Amino acid sequence: MATNPISRKQFLRQCGSIAAGAAIISVSGIAVKQMLKKDGDNFWQIDPSKCTFCGRCATSCVLTVSAVKCIHANKVCGYCDLCGGYYRANVKDLNTAAENLKCPTGAIFRKYIEDPYFEYTIDEDLCNGCGKCAKGCNSFGNGSLYLQVKQELCKNCNECKISKVCPSDAIQRVSADKVYMLKDG
Amino acid sequence: MKRILKILGIFASVSPLVAEAQNRFPKPDFESGYIYPEFSYFVPDEMLWNTVDVVLLTIMMSVVAWAVLHRRKRAPVFIVSIISVLYFGFFRSGCVCSIGAIQNVALALTDSSYSMPVFVFLVFILPIIFTFLFGRVFCAGVCPFGALQELVNIRDFRLSKAVSSVLGIIPWIYLIFAILYAVTRSRFLICQFDPFIGIFRMGGDFGMIILGGLLLVASVFTGRPFCRFLCPYGVLLSLFSRISLLHPSVTPKCINCDLCRNACPVDAIRPPYENKIKESRAAGVNRLLVYFVFLPLMGLSGALLLHVAGDSFSHANKNVRLHELIMQNEANPQDVQPVDVEVFFSQGGTIDELASRVSEIRRQFISYSTIAGALIGLIIGATLINLSLKRTRKTYEIDSASCINCGRCFDYCPKNQLINKTE
Repeated sequence: MATNPISRKQFLRQCGSIAAGAAIISVSGIAVKQMLKKDGDNFWQIDPSKCTFCGRCATSCVLTVSAVKCIHANKVCGYCDLCGGYYRANVKDLNTAAENLKCPTGAIFRKYIEDPYFEYTIDEDLCNGCGKCAKGCNSFGNGSLYLQVKQELCKNCNECKISKVCPSDAIQRVSADKVYMLKDG
Repeated sequence: MKRILKILGIFASVSPLVAEAQNRFPKPDFESGYIYPEFSYFVPDEMLWNTVDVVLLTIMMSVVAWAVLHRRKRAPVFIVSIISVLYFGFFRSGCVCSIGAIQNVALALTDSSYSMPVFVFLVFILPIIFTFLFGRVFCAGVCPFGALQELVNIRDFRLSKAVSSVLGIIPWIYLIFAILYAVTRSRFLICQFDPFIGIFRMGGDFGMIILGGLLLVASVFTGRPFCRFLCPYGVLLSLFSRISLLHPSVTPKCINCDLCRNACPVDAIRPPYENKIKESRAAGVNRLLVYFVFLPLMGLSGALLLHVAGDSFSHANKNVRLHELIMQNEANPQDVQPVDVEVFFSQGGTIDELASRVSEIRRQFISYSTIAGALIGLIIGATLINLSLKRTRKTYEIDSASCINCGRCFDYCPKNQLINKTE
């Protein structure tokens, strides 16, 4: 068998080409088969029924001010005067001075509606997603304050950094039709 | 009776154990005509942007292929680089990129419970198909990371072949570990250690921004340090580029001026070389035999090494860490439990169930890292063999595996200039 180096090289090349083509086709085949079964979900969102308000959303997001914000479900709220999400526990005088309030950034605003009801609103520009108010509201109130990923802020990382430290695996990929998991539907 | 039930209900709802207890306070009935405020939440049109991404990716790769293979010009590649840095880099801020998509694909191939979006798969496979057809046109300037380094590159201080070959092993190891961590559902290593994403987003992890800045400074003085010595997707593409159907070639009737080799940022152009050492047939056979013994030996020792180390890699997994934390807590109970432990028990997790899950993950880690070790051993062996080989080249040759189709050599080649002018 007389072979010269060029033809041997070419032969190896052709073998390689066939192998590479086969690899592309087989990987595509398996992937298409999988994707036909179920298309992957595109968005990160917090499941409020799993969230434990550990406060890691505020610190672990790749954004300097987290994309996780507190959301208020007005239709769930009791409009209480003594709000567990607004006031700290065991405060000396129950007034709206900053030392008595739970929110570290002063993002919760309260408005008198009628006796004895108060409306609470959240300024999302100030909110850092620490979840202190949500924890208070869920342990003493109706749970109308809860955390959600704001989709206009979320960078949609390939792997959400918060999801890797979330103790209850509350951050999961969700499909486009339920981008927000709202409590007041 | 009704009142008793009501009181019981209040007690139950106040107890913090009942996490689901809602409406402790009834919905207020307003008398002042209060209307509930309406909120609307922004839903991004991801479908549209993903389509734009894929279309632009395809167009840009086609433009590069046309410019480099047909027109033999650099200018279009340069324009594509600028568009890529602006659009894929700063505007889309880099996620999901083709480099990171390796992990999604690896996970989807091994774990049928994971569902991968079609878009992610397209971003992964399109550059590979283009590379198989035309060489690494994705690396040329479509990849925002490569384009960014290309745009800041001013001088090209050359590294010796030995240094760049040895550094070239790093991306292989990186790729193998990224897949190892992805298929065990531990973490996405490539996304975690992405040096340029912080620059594109103008903020992020401090250490990664520093690394990105250092790489950028390095790429001012040497061609594409990230692409050559870190990028895991680059080595994957180099496999396909090695046997690509078409790829850039040295201009016909080369006058051996060496200008193209000087211009190449990735040392892909090999000058003519005459191997003067004449080897007898027996010595050649002997050398080949040594290779055949050496390579499996490298593979075996790599496999053995990582088989032993496999268990310690498993700490990257969240469940393994949680199990360890719980075991520590059991051995030495604290007054205040760590939040992970507390949440684990409050969700009704049991130690036995976690332990069985963890041992399964550990077993996976050990078997996968054995394979990883064998591959790493083989790659190190192959690199060393490649360094020891000396081949005679009669003309300038382009090493299609490392050529990134940037087209710099075309602008420097006097013969090529002449052809372009007469056309």
